[in-house]
Amino acid sequence: MLSRKSPLLAAVMLTGSQMAFANDLNINGFMSVGAGVLSNNDVRAAGYDDDVSFDQDTVVALQVSKQINESTSATTQFIARGSEDFDTENSWAYITYSINENTDIRLGRLRSPFFYYSDFLEVGYAYNWVRPPEEVYGRLDSFSSVNGFDLTHSFSVGNTDGSVQFYYGRSNETIDPSGDSFDVELKNFTGVVLNLNNGNWGSRLSYHQTDATADDVNDITSASDAELNEIINSPSSDAVELLARVAQAGFGDDFSLDESTAKFVEAAVTYEKGDYFMIAEWTMLDYDSELFVDDSAYLISAAKRFNDTVVHLTYTAHEDEKGSGIIGEFQNDFIRDKEESITLGARFDYDAGTAFKVEAQYIDEELRNGQDSESAMLYSVAVDVVF
Amino acid sequence: MKKLMIILKTMTLASVFSAALAQAEVAVIVSANNANASLDQDTISRIFLGKTKNFPDGSQAVPVDQDAGSASRESFNGTVLGKSSSQLKAYWSRLIFTGKGTPPKESGDDAAVKNLVAQNPNLVGYVDSSVVDGSVKVVYKF
Repeated sequence: MLSRKSPLLAAVMLTGSQMAFANDLNINGFMSVGAGVLSNNDVRAAGYDDDVSFDQDTVVALQVSKQINESTSATTQFIARGSEDFDTENSWAYITYSINENTDIRLGRLRSPFFYYSDFLEVGYAYNWVRPPEEVYGRLDSFSSVNGFDLTHSFSVGNTDGSVQFYYGRSNETIDPSGDSFDVELKNFTGVVLNLNNGNWGSRLSYHQTDATADDVNDITSASDAELNEIINSPSSDAVELLARVAQAGFGDDFSLDESTAKFVEAAVTYEKGDYFMIAEWTMLDYDSELFVDDSAYLISAAKRFNDTVVHLTYTAHEDEKGSGIIGEFQNDFIRDKEESITLGARFDYDAGTAFKVEAQYIDEELRNGQDSESAMLYSVAVDVVF
Repeated sequence: MKKLMIILKTMTLASVFSAALAQAEVAVIVSANNANASLDQDTISRIFLGKTKNFPDGSQAVPVDQDAGSASRESFNGTVLGKSSSQLKAYWSRLIFTGKGTPPKESGDDAAVKNLVAQNPNLVGYVDSSVVDGSVKVVYKF
């Protein structure tokens, strides 16, 4: 991977020489090298196919933070992903201002805090899986970052410690409903997250919403009959043709994305005692536009540690809720419908900072595009490092 | 890499052995000027894991660690926090990369931590009982 000459290398060398001059500059990083192979190409699984590939779960990131004064610090994280040809991206860049010891404001580019694992989604070392289960975590990629601010207040009541986080911002992303990608603008992107911990128990509740607009989509869904005929005769992509057919059938307004509200709800419970860890997380998506399907997904996972080895078992389920009648028929062309999976894996900690993981996931795609589908095994390995 | 692993493992073993041989008692300490008379294990653990930022009396609590590999630290992590060093590393890596927390500052050995804690009523540390003197107050022992 290093032979690819990622721009990160240059950054590492640069910061390495600068480190000597600024001893309060904190440099942290993480790296994962993963590989996987899928037994059946007719099933979709984390971008893998039946030839071993190394890109999907390979990632390297470097975070630089500096305390500017007593209450203010600046943090930025550069990340290069194998799935994106190691193009370096700024996934986080923010200034933290501490109002007091329990309340922080962050301004800048933040990771949208949708899930229990969102904050450290790509820090493989922080969890036991090779990757958080795609059935739950792979659904909101288009909304993964937000530019704006958040406010986090932590508190303790008796033996219960908690935090409440509120964020607000906007974002420009791309969506790809069926292979083609469209620019989408997310306004009033906001949410609130409540975390509570008491003894061995923890919980996380969150609510998020945004108003999404995609002009390229709306140009098609509101096109005249003549324009639609022209598009259908020579479509630039499957997605464009599909949208044109939707509009021709008179459902353009249902599929448009013009300040359409999308809502996301999440609830998680964790239990940790000694060598045992358990998490259950449930999520639900609700879109005003029919361009995306409403869905729900959850996971239940248990892990036990034996000295330096953790063995874990996870069940996931994901189900789309299609619109009724003709709308549902159109939606069939770009959704998966229903699937479940079981993952059995192990993590071996060599030393504080390096972990090796193996896992096998059985994926059962019960329905895809409204048709009966197949099942597959996905085998993955990864080495995760933090420094 | 393999050689490095062997050296690391030997070092870990050596520190475990030296800790076992010494059978030292470790004391959790605050400054003699700190108003809290004692702390229970749960509270100490919450302070050192960054879950709470206050002592039971409401004053600010800032934990300090000893340097990696110290016998007191191994003993503290295993007995009070109930976590291995790799579990702790994984725990902190969840917070470091989000700006939501940083691990306690590594502040030297038993003597260095005692001196530091004595000077600041907001600090809490752990040291081998043999270095405890009148400048600090023992709030928990194990």
